[in-house]
Amino acid sequence: MTTIALFILLFGCMMLGVPIALALGLSSIATILMFSNDSLASIALKLFESLSKHYTLLAIPFFIMSSAFLSTGGVAKRIIRFATSVVGHIKGGVAMASVMACMIFAAVSGSSPATVAAIGSICIVGMNKVGYPQSFGAGVITTAGTLGILIPPSIVMLVYSAATEVSAARMFMAGFLPGLMMGFMLMIAIYVVAYIRKIPSQPWTGFKEVFLSGWSALGGLMLIIIVLGSIYGGIASPTEAAAVSAVYAFGIAIFGYRDIGPMRNQPWKKEGEGVASMIVRNTYQIILTLPKCVFDKDVNKVLVDASKVSIMLLFIIANAMLFAHVLTTERIPHSLASIIVELGLSPWMFLIVVNLLLLAAGNFMEPSAILLIMAPILFPIAEQLGIDPIHLGIIMVVNMEIGMLTPPVGLNLFVTAGITGKSMGWVIKAALPWLLLMLVFLGLITYIPQISLFLPEFIDKLHGY
Amino acid sequence: MFFRILNQIEESIICILLVTTTLLVFMDVVMRFGFNAGFLWSQELTLHMSAWMVLFGTSYCLKVGSHIGMDAFVKLFPLIGRKILTGIGCVLGLIYCGLVLYGSWIYLSKMHKIGIHLEDLPIPTWVAHGMLLVGFSMLTIRLVILFWSVIFGDTDGFRHADEAKESLELADKIKGEGTL
Repeated sequence: MTTIALFILLFGCMMLGVPIALALGLSSIATILMFSNDSLASIALKLFESLSKHYTLLAIPFFIMSSAFLSTGGVAKRIIRFATSVVGHIKGGVAMASVMACMIFAAVSGSSPATVAAIGSICIVGMNKVGYPQSFGAGVITTAGTLGILIPPSIVMLVYSAATEVSAARMFMAGFLPGLMMGFMLMIAIYVVAYIRKIPSQPWTGFKEVFLSGWSALGGLMLIIIVLGSIYGGIASPTEAAAVSAVYAFGIAIFGYRDIGPMRNQPWKKEGEGVASMIVRNTYQIILTLPKCVFDKDVNKVLVDASKVSIMLLFIIANAMLFAHVLTTERIPHSLASIIVELGLSPWMFLIVVNLLLLAAGNFMEPSAILLIMAPILFPIAEQLGIDPIHLGIIMVVNMEIGMLTPPVGLNLFVTAGITGKSMGWVIKAALPWLLLMLVFLGLITYIPQISLFLPEFIDKLHGY
Repeated sequence: MFFRILNQIEESIICILLVTTTLLVFMDVVMRFGFNAGFLWSQELTLHMSAWMVLFGTSYCLKVGSHIGMDAFVKLFPLIGRKILTGIGCVLGLIYCGLVLYGSWIYLSKMHKIGIHLEDLPIPTWVAHGMLLVGFSMLTIRLVILFWSVIFGDTDGFRHADEAKESLELADKIKGEGTL
């Protein structure tokens, strides 16, 4: 009875177009009032505490801010140049380089649609020039762009750990190998296609270019190194690493790359300038421009954009915690779990059901909303069946990736359609072969838990647990 | 003019909260690694500031349409149907706000009567948690304005964030700059 009321209210509100945060909040509060003795005062306290008691949640606004600073065309171009210099000479190298660029940019920006937009608007044309059909490039980029939520740091993983209280650091460790694996699977497929189509490879540009482009891309790469290094090394929590990366991203975007902000288009080294005078000039310029940032239009826009997304996500999370509270007090997941155990459903059958459920949900809702609604339900069931929570998390994230490739809500499809100027139908067809590859990957992730669990367990062993 | 200033104030408060929160945590890290010291109060302060940012900013997000939701179902209807459904949605949202406001009022007045302070900061709890009232009052006002314009204006739905459209702006910018 409670379950039915809760879900009818929730989906009813969502159908009416009510923002998901309000829908979650209203349905949970109404259910609490109807079926339990909690007072409204305690609900208000719970709502505030869900925002003020979870230190891990702070990482979300910080990561959103750092990615907002670094999601610029300049960063994308530097990363593409670096990737091309590394893998460009292999057969199918141009397409492989765009996959590698997607992986790096995805890690930096944490957003899949932004990755498709930034890398795709440069690489799809580039691939077309060297002889790949446009649909091939579009398919590759649309799929590789989804890696944004699998390769850490990833906002979606933070949302999962907020919903289930699984350690965010361990989720970040677990996502790394699957992310690399997906990237390699895409590259192998590209190699095969390039071999069959006899697409010529680029000349090897030499180690000098690798170092030069690597140096110019280092600003973006360092962000990944800082975050993953400090988390994997166990020296900082994700929240602290996120705060450092936000400050770092601000510094590198405004003073290092100078793509945005008050120092825009001011060169590091003017023509005919000596090294000493360059250092002196840059130092006092940076000190002088620092206060200007407060009123700078670009900087303010980045901050407002970042805070809009953070507030939206955190407000959903706060309300989703009320929802999770209702689920646990009414023991809804537990009764579902006992039904499943009684049916004699084994873990692998349960995982098939989970995948189908998530794939279906992915067609209609945003990843973070799905995670916040589904994770509190699936998590206790999985625990009872002996499935590792981290493994379940990675399965959910990969499902969300696939959700970005399937209509009608597949965000990446919209973006690719936008940048290529083609119809949705064309993009769906272009992405279809790669979608099948993703499904194979999902199967591997689901039934070989070691792919996800190897790295966290290995690092635990290193730290001597 | 008045609304533009109001908008500016809202944006500034939100941004200042976000930036100070970030800098506080950053300072914490620097202090810990650089000087092996730390502040007892900083964690509680940062957490409360982020909570204030969310509660204060959620009405702003409703105004600029950056909440996420589903509009596929509502879009199936003609204009009048969309207006009715959105109107019902507004009323439901107002009920939600009313319930939370009522609850926070009881909770805050109890805290006021007991007079306890936060754990580490010398701030009375009812002041620190008072943002519940402020935030949800502002959200209520926004919902009433939205409801009003659904009935008398030309609004026919909640505006939702569109990440795809935002990403395309980035793509346009890159295309404008030219390739490598």
